[in-house]
Amino acid sequence: MSNIVEARGMNKRVELGKENELHILKDVNLDIEEGEFVSVMGPSGSGKSTLLYNISGMDRITSGSVKFKGSEIGTLVEEELAKLRLNHMGFIFQDINLLKNLSLIDNVMFPALVSKDVDKNAVYQKAKKLLEMTGIDKLADHNITQGSGGQLQRVGICRALINSPDIIFGDEPTGALDSKSTAEIMSILAEINKKGTTVMLVTHDVKVAAKTERVLYMVDGNLVAQKKMRKYDAQRNDSKEREESIMKWLVENGF
Amino acid sequence: MFLKIVKNDFLRNKIVTMTVFVFITMAVILAASAINNIANLFQAMSDLQENAVPADITVMHAGEYDQAEIDQFTKRYRDHIAVQETMVLQNIDGSDIHFGQNQTMAGTIQDISFVVQNKKFDFILDLNNEKLDVKEGFVAVPIYFMEQHDLKIGDTITVKSGGYEKEFIISEYARDFEMNSSLTSSKRFVINQNDYDEMIELQAGELEYLIEFKLYENGDSATVQTAYIEAGLPANGPILEGKIFTMFNAMSDMAVAIIIIFISILLIVIASLCIRLTFLATIEEDIREIGVMKAIGISKKDIKKVYLNKYRVISVAAGIVGYLMSFAVVNLLNGNMRLYISSDLSGSLKYVLSLIAPLLVYFMIVMYCQHVLKRIDKISAVEALRSAITERGKSRKYSFPLLKNKFFNTNIYMGLRDVFKRFNLYRLLFFIFVVCTFIVILPLNIYNTMNSPEFSTYMGIGKSDMRIDLRRTDTIREDFKKLQEELKNDSDIEKYATYITSSYQVKNAEGSWDYINIETGDFSVFPLNYLEGRAPKGTGEISLSYANASKDGLNKKVGDEVTVRGGGEEQTLSVTGIYQDITNGGKTAKAHRSLGVNEEAVLWYIVSMDLAQGVDTRVKMDYYQDAYDSAQVNDIKEYTGQTLGNIIDQMSQIVIGGIAIAVIIAVLITALFLRMLLSKDMSQIAIMRSVGLTSKNIKHQYMAGTMMVLILGIIVGVLASNYLGEFLVSMAMSSMGAAKIELVNVAWQTWLLCPLALIVAVGFTISMCCKVTVEDDLSVVLRS
Repeated sequence: MSNIVEARGMNKRVELGKENELHILKDVNLDIEEGEFVSVMGPSGSGKSTLLYNISGMDRITSGSVKFKGSEIGTLVEEELAKLRLNHMGFIFQDINLLKNLSLIDNVMFPALVSKDVDKNAVYQKAKKLLEMTGIDKLADHNITQGSGGQLQRVGICRALINSPDIIFGDEPTGALDSKSTAEIMSILAEINKKGTTVMLVTHDVKVAAKTERVLYMVDGNLVAQKKMRKYDAQRNDSKEREESIMKWLVENGF
Repeated sequence: MFLKIVKNDFLRNKIVTMTVFVFITMAVILAASAINNIANLFQAMSDLQENAVPADITVMHAGEYDQAEIDQFTKRYRDHIAVQETMVLQNIDGSDIHFGQNQTMAGTIQDISFVVQNKKFDFILDLNNEKLDVKEGFVAVPIYFMEQHDLKIGDTITVKSGGYEKEFIISEYARDFEMNSSLTSSKRFVINQNDYDEMIELQAGELEYLIEFKLYENGDSATVQTAYIEAGLPANGPILEGKIFTMFNAMSDMAVAIIIIFISILLIVIASLCIRLTFLATIEEDIREIGVMKAIGISKKDIKKVYLNKYRVISVAAGIVGYLMSFAVVNLLNGNMRLYISSDLSGSLKYVLSLIAPLLVYFMIVMYCQHVLKRIDKISAVEALRSAITERGKSRKYSFPLLKNKFFNTNIYMGLRDVFKRFNLYRLLFFIFVVCTFIVILPLNIYNTMNSPEFSTYMGIGKSDMRIDLRRTDTIREDFKKLQEELKNDSDIEKYATYITSSYQVKNAEGSWDYINIETGDFSVFPLNYLEGRAPKGTGEISLSYANASKDGLNKKVGDEVTVRGGGEEQTLSVTGIYQDITNGGKTAKAHRSLGVNEEAVLWYIVSMDLAQGVDTRVKMDYYQDAYDSAQVNDIKEYTGQTLGNIIDQMSQIVIGGIAIAVIIAVLITALFLRMLLSKDMSQIAIMRSVGLTSKNIKHQYMAGTMMVLILGIIVGVLASNYLGEFLVSMAMSSMGAAKIELVNVAWQTWLLCPLALIVAVGFTISMCCKVTVEDDLSVVLRS
């Protein structure tokens, strides 16, 4: 398998006032294989989300290199980066971040409709299918104020999938959800990954990390450890063991 | 403490604060200047009146005259009449007055006369409002002509009439209370008694008499006028009351002041809307802080104070700056007044009265702020902390789904639907664009109307190519006959009609007799648009001007009867129609030829004509002007242009000013609005960019929305100026005798040029302001 993401010597510094600088990412090296399901853990302020946003080109790194499918994204101009996000990446946020004035299905369709020469009907059918897959097709025409957190996060996932991306980034996608919704969202993501889409997400939740196949551990901007596991399979019924093993590993690494 | 908050807030929102400051300052400057101007006008008018001592009643008469009869009459009515004086005018034709390099005053619609200063009252003044004392060989020229022909003190004019020829040096401007205004159709040149006597001796001009009466304070003007008419004393010209001169003198300055006050009110409204927008944006940004303040127990009153104080400080500062600046600005507005009414505008009343403007603006702004801040009362601490307030009422039915879009690119459609979805927000901009269009188009329409041949409708004359006026001269009757013969045989004339205006007595609402000028002739040749009814066609029919038919006049409707008396004979006529006329104080009438001509009191003859195709109007006009020395030959546009003179000039300045103000307001508010909108929508913009939209895509959304609002605003603005504007102008003009003005709308100006100017200015602003979307890392916004 080839790498979809290759990061080398990645640094991110943020200036706070004249002589005050925050070094958030420190010489991070990271490869993500195509079709992999990766999670990033670590204490608050360790740089997990920053890693995600810098790999995806949403933010610009201060120094180092990030390649996406072999192309250096640091040299891309704003328009090229936008195109990359539109066609090859999907994002899921903790705050969900849907557009206020669009219905749920319009939120899903919107990234597909902004492309030129698009077949609107095909987009509609695809959006319908995604909503069906995530079990919220009945809410399609509702406003975003009319859904629960779990329902809206599923809309977020559908939106991330509408342009059939190569990778989905999730910034604590279950962070604001109850345990039932969390389990449902994770099984949807696992299903998507099974079909070949790479997934990388940031989480505080061991139960979430247990559904992924590689866990990265960050402390103070450094990638300090990683744990590789077998791909999660619900039928094996080994969630408990996977969680305990991650917990133990985390403690070993100073969590 | 509060000053510190104000200072911090100012630093945080520099552009917004400055914009609000500028608008309030501009509003104060304009309102204070307008009030200042009105105060000046009142003081200057009373100063002028005091020095000029105008007559209360002026009777114009040409022909036989006996001063002894007038003296007897004055004696008989000494309870009312304080002083009487008769001024003898020597009327000289414009073409006989030469100046510059072979130029003459031919073509003027004004009757020119040479006079000597009166001894008792109705004095003609110099620019210092002192009685003119003209030395031999010199002349004081009316301001109207000094301006019209760009004459300077020291220039010379030469009068050549019959065997008389003399050169005069201009020594003064003549400021003439009674005949200053271009709306008064006579102008008086003042010369020395010796020059005057020489002129009389050589019969340079036709004589006309101004029989003037100055009444006691409690003297009754109506009684004296009626008595004068009943006594059969000489009066074959109009009888004019003193107050009409006051009105003519004040009118153009008053009109300008009213328009400025109107613009100032608009600016106050705009400043209030800016404040509303600022509040909505800042309160939304600060909503969590409001929640925290409420949660820790700070009272609503104190929270409001934080927001209110800033605007109090801005209003006070803008008030002071605006008040002081208004004294500089007012000099730009009162040029006309300084020339025509009083050069010394140093009265102190204006300083006090102008203070009304900043005080009023301050209270209006503070009251408006308090009104907007009522929102804070409604926010509960919890609601504020959850920042749900501005997102209320969202469970309405979903409209404008993306799939319904069949015509536009998705980004354009997003921009357009946003306007409908958030019209509450965009309506401010919409309103501003409507107002801006209105202040460009309305003055433009008024200007075009005044300049159009159709304006003759409001002057009580039908539309024709050319008109010849014959006024009181000894040879008037012969000239008129000769002219008719000539016209009959002139193949260049397609059609013509003759009208004779003579003075009659008419029974007023109280049953006593007043004077009325009645024009007789065939009114079907050059039809006039009637407000109600039709022109008189048959025996016993008359039509009245709007002012004559109104309650202040004869109080008549179509179908009513009017009794007139001429040459000792009484006739009852029925009113067939009412038309608009702003000439001769608005009070005129037209009757069928069968009424006959009151030979003793013929005022003037008019011939209106249309020329055959291909005939050069100018050549024809020159021909008739040369052939009939005493006639005034004008084309209709020139006639209206000269009568409205100053008003048209001032209107053209207002048009230019209106365009400048509209563009400045539109650009400033658009920039301000977009800045607010973009900062309000920052998180939504970041979301769109996170899913793959470029800054350009997002810019197109905002451009589409704002441009649509602009175009809708322009359409509504143009319609409003056409319909509402027409209504407002008619209301304002009804006191002058025209109650139903139809504005002339030059399509390429209203629908193409002005909208294009606004679109270019606003489009450029939008394109500049939308440049910045999210500059920082996207995550900064997405995670905040």
